[in-house]
Amino acid sequence: MRLAGLGMILAGWLLAIAGLFITTSNVGRAVIACAGIAISVYGNLGVLNSYYLARAIWKK
Amino acid sequence: MKIQPSSRFLLAVISIAGAMSLGSPLMAEDAKAPAAASAATLPGDQAISGISKPDAAKLAETGDPDGSLTGTAADVTVADAKKGITLADLANQAGQNKIAINFTWTLICGFLVMFMQAGFAIVETGLIRAKNANHTMMMNFMVYGLGLFAYWVCGFAIQMGGAGAIANLGGTSPINAEKVFTLFGKPWGLFGTKGFFLSGASYDVGVMVIFLFEMVFMDTTTTIVTGTCAERWKFSAFAVSTIFLGAITYPLFGNWAWGGGWLSQLGVNFGLGHGYCDFAGSGVVHAVGGLTACAVGMQVGPRIGKFNRDGSPNVIPGHDLSYVVLGCFILAFGWFGFNPGSTLGASGNGCLRIGSVAVNTMLAGCTGSFAAVLYMWMRYGKPDASMAGNGLLAGLVAITAPSGFVNPLAAVIIGWIAGILVCLAVEFFDRVPKIDDPVGAMSVHGVNGLWGVLSVGLFADGKSNYGGGWNGVTGSVTGLFYGDAGQLVAQLIGIATLVGAIFTLSYAFNWITDVIVGQRVGVKAELEGLDIPEMGALCYPDFQVKTAEYGSSISASAGTPAKH
Repeated sequence: MRLAGLGMILAGWLLAIAGLFITTSNVGRAVIACAGIAISVYGNLGVLNSYYLARAIWKK
Repeated sequence: MKIQPSSRFLLAVISIAGAMSLGSPLMAEDAKAPAAASAATLPGDQAISGISKPDAAKLAETGDPDGSLTGTAADVTVADAKKGITLADLANQAGQNKIAINFTWTLICGFLVMFMQAGFAIVETGLIRAKNANHTMMMNFMVYGLGLFAYWVCGFAIQMGGAGAIANLGGTSPINAEKVFTLFGKPWGLFGTKGFFLSGASYDVGVMVIFLFEMVFMDTTTTIVTGTCAERWKFSAFAVSTIFLGAITYPLFGNWAWGGGWLSQLGVNFGLGHGYCDFAGSGVVHAVGGLTACAVGMQVGPRIGKFNRDGSPNVIPGHDLSYVVLGCFILAFGWFGFNPGSTLGASGNGCLRIGSVAVNTMLAGCTGSFAAVLYMWMRYGKPDASMAGNGLLAGLVAITAPSGFVNPLAAVIIGWIAGILVCLAVEFFDRVPKIDDPVGAMSVHGVNGLWGVLSVGLFADGKSNYGGGWNGVTGSVTGLFYGDAGQLVAQLIGIATLVGAIFTLSYAFNWITDVIVGQRVGVKAELEGLDIPEMGALCYPDFQVKTAEYGSSISASAGTPAKH
């Protein structure tokens, strides 16, 4: 789960960078960058954090 | 172009006026001055009439109580005493005065930023329980020593080793080597390679000034993490984590943004405005700290008692609100070094914008505090003091990146949004991902750091011009609302890099630390309070420290933990 989360976080960043080469339009690049940020945030708080929530000290 | 004698004379007079740096008008001074000792000359033995030096003998006898005779032509350094003052002497003196002003400005601002550590220390300590006060205070204290050491060894070289000449500081030309790789025909600067241990050619006056200023910024980043992880972080893990943050993570992003790295070149290479712009470090300093705090906070886990079995959060109040409020004032004061100091000078290259930078800083902090108090008052019925402080800090964090590029109205809007954002973010982290953050550092520095970065791409008004361009692009930084969508894209790429690359790097390293050292203290130590188990001494040995919610107490006056 942790590796999957980290993979998503990195993938979001790489997508944002790839947008620089995919299109020269500012709107296109902005949309791709926002998508990349969303993927990274979800990978962080949605996927990676779920590993820790499942083992949280207050559940024990 | 040949300079006519009359023009030359005029130039000389103007130069002397500048060289005397803010002295009284020359002619008025002469009227009060004693008889001339010797006339200054220009090349070609042209005497400069009307320029005189005070009578040294009379000065020795009467002194200079009104200050009109101190700082005159006598103080201009001459290369050849026989020739007297030449045009070259005047030009050199004027140049050195400009750099001296900039050195002094940058150093004093750096000292102010260094003093912010005291603010962070008491804000964080005030927001945690008394049984952990020594531990929290010591973490805040030791980030200075540990971070500085790491930054001196390699952090500075990685961050600024390829920055090249900084005109406001007289050059700093020894730090001029950036490791660059080429991808799809574009150069991507990754890290600097000069300035390790401040050795070799980096033993340079200008380099020393920029080192001090950048070092205290790094120190601010490292102290953010200690707040989020307070009350359950092993001191040994904290030490290792801080060294890595000061040596690698912070400098790497610092290079990409400020050291000539690839983010700063997005304008040159991809036509995105002026590239990633972060005037004083909403992203470089605060978001890096906030995201690292998030990475470590996840791994450390919440404090015992923070969440109930159903996952609902509890409020664990801090032990001294007066610390919190006082600390916030200290931080607000230090921020006047943080933002205006980031011009790296007060003379030349548009540096006179220090006035608007300072006012923007003040306004955003005030509106952030105002908005946070108003939000808490309306939502919970009371003007919460700790959130008022966090609102102030949120506004200051958010205005840090745009402070040099926006007008006062934008600063008010940015600060106001930050004040609301910090309240929402604190609730969000408590209720959704359930990441325990005793001081709200992720919300203040992480969330609002990212908001600050974004706001440059929205609100930069195109009126700032620091020496003709920023990041190698001619013209002024201009955001979406003033016509440049490309600048917003550059800021979004910066945000993606922070939440993607920097978070991952911080997480990975602290994961390794967790495996080797272990991030979290034991349950017994956490319940007792970390002062004795981790630090060996109580912060308040003369007081009975209450830990009633867990049915235990520490007999503080005896200096040892009580039996449970």
